[in-house]
Amino acid sequence: MRRFLSILSATAISAVFAASLPPGAARAGEASIPVLVPLTGFLSLEGTSQRNGAVLALKDAPAGVAVRSEVIDTGTSPEAAVTALERAAGGKVTAVAASMLGTQMLAMLPLAQDYGIPLVTVSGTASITEQGNPWVFRFFPGDAVTKEAHARYVAEELGKKRPAVIYQTTAYGQSGKAHLEQAFKKLGVEPVFEEGVDPAAKDLLPVLTKALAAKPDVLVLHLHSGPTALFIRQAAANGVAVPIVAGSAMHQPSTAALLEPAELKGVCAETAASPISGGSPEVEAFTAAYRAAFNAEPDAFALGQYDGIRMVLAAVQDGAGNAEAVRKALSAGTHQGLAMTYRSDGKGNMAHSAVIVCYDGASRVPAIAKRYDNVTGVVR
Amino acid sequence: MITLQLLVNGLALGAAYALVALGFVLVLNATAAVNFAQGDLVMAGGLLAVALAPHLPAYLPLPGLLLLPVVLVLMAGLGLLLAAAAYLPLRRRPPVAVFISTIAAGIILQNGASVLFGPEPRAAPPLLSGGTLDIGGLVVAEQSLAIIAVAALLIAGQQWLFGRTQLGRRLRATAQDPEMARACGVPVTAMILVTFALGTAFAGAAGLLLANRYFVTPTAGGDLILKAYIAVTIGGWGSVPGAVAGALLIALFEVGVSSVLSYPVALGLLYATLLVILVARPQGLFGEAARRRA
Repeated sequence: MRRFLSILSATAISAVFAASLPPGAARAGEASIPVLVPLTGFLSLEGTSQRNGAVLALKDAPAGVAVRSEVIDTGTSPEAAVTALERAAGGKVTAVAASMLGTQMLAMLPLAQDYGIPLVTVSGTASITEQGNPWVFRFFPGDAVTKEAHARYVAEELGKKRPAVIYQTTAYGQSGKAHLEQAFKKLGVEPVFEEGVDPAAKDLLPVLTKALAAKPDVLVLHLHSGPTALFIRQAAANGVAVPIVAGSAMHQPSTAALLEPAELKGVCAETAASPISGGSPEVEAFTAAYRAAFNAEPDAFALGQYDGIRMVLAAVQDGAGNAEAVRKALSAGTHQGLAMTYRSDGKGNMAHSAVIVCYDGASRVPAIAKRYDNVTGVVR
Repeated sequence: MITLQLLVNGLALGAAYALVALGFVLVLNATAAVNFAQGDLVMAGGLLAVALAPHLPAYLPLPGLLLLPVVLVLMAGLGLLLAAAAYLPLRRRPPVAVFISTIAAGIILQNGASVLFGPEPRAAPPLLSGGTLDIGGLVVAEQSLAIIAVAALLIAGQQWLFGRTQLGRRLRATAQDPEMARACGVPVTAMILVTFALGTAFAGAAGLLLANRYFVTPTAGGDLILKAYIAVTIGGWGSVPGAVAGALLIALFEVGVSSVLSYPVALGLLYATLLVILVARPQGLFGEAARRRA
């Protein structure tokens, strides 16, 4: 019921933007930024975070910038995403907070180019910025960044040389595994075990058993939220002493909520950011505002989308009066966000930092153990 | 030792799958209709337990065990609603109408759960305790043992109901030939309602048991209905022992075979086995009534 109320409040916030703006009122800038994200289906957890981050950024629009927005659920099909973009493009659009689902992004990209609409996303799918499309901007580090941080933390900070890599058999998992392989190879580390796990697998003891049989000195996970929690729970129950460095799903508060703090002791995870870990007054203010608005804990997707929309709004405040001007500002500008400094690498990849967070066994709030900036060396 | 541990885990998983498959078979037997909402009903049972758990007085022990009868009753009520909304108005229409209406009901349940509970995975309270037992090096989750015990009790209870009671005989008569049963004075509509209530209660129990050990999300039902469908196909459409055997076989592949080979290979072998069974015994391992129904 609280979730229902939070969705109602988010919808109400969106409505307030529109209702509070008298047509034709004098403003330093006006922006129309529809939020087209998956709120239902298998990506609804991440999509809801994305929506919340965008809505919060729009609510906190800079002084003098008037915002119009509506939230449209794209589900998980490419057709629904295209329909949502077609519908949004019917008006004068400044930019779109676009789905984090790669297949939806790939379907939206040609349309965005036709209409000339910047798509601001936290999608991790590598290929969306490899299409030569100048209208896409990704405010979340891709696997090339996060997996390098992941591997470097394992090899350089922990000094481990025999990782067992357990990944999901989905596109998400395959991409992460491929980048982990490359990163480990660069570091001269050879995984002693690699296995893909279907997200529908209920029991992860079999893969845990086989991984341990390979005598690894670290367990490296790249799994979705539920399987990550299940794996860690089963490892804790079996008294596994090998350290675990997980993928970004582990930093999500909803994943940690599935486990007892003691089960999390010593577990680390890579992520773009961990807003609940704090780090600066601005991040803490964001976290407090997010909790107040949505009665939930923010994650890196929410913060990434928040930063992306804030960059768009800053461009509007600085005089970008239309979609093309916003595109130019995003392509050439630098933005100091809450999670990191954003700058395009020329393809629309804006995020080049990652952090490693670790749990101390006493709480479900991780601490930032290591920060990796300029991982791709693009940020100047 | 690890083999024993895997065996216990596999049995627990198989027992929970069996409950899902049994609910599916119950409805199939009584109505000749495939209830594609069964997986989403399991999800609903899990989330119902998640929602009710905070409302239990803190001083009461064993919240999961106390919730079980409540979940069974409430889910039975949901089963009645499902029958009234998705089956009874369509029962004289071609079977595909019920087929689609149960899919629609499942989607409504999924999206309703997503709105009410949010998309994040949740854990229901454990039946007894969330701890593990260390029996001479064999680490067994208490929830696994609880799942096996509860599933065994419910399956035995169902067998007793169908084999030893007047209600059971009426239910079987309805399943075998509704028109003849009606001619003999059996209230067929009431029997169908009871069947949906029982099948949904089973789903709820499975949801509560699975949601603690393996978590629950609004979209978790899709995979479960597929497994129930496979279990019933392996065992033989309409066969209760077949559904149990099919469920255990799936769990054996998922836990046992995947501990030797990889999970994707185990899954591939499971489907290959299914194909072999269908070719060798199209009616399934225990099938008989199924041939007539299918």
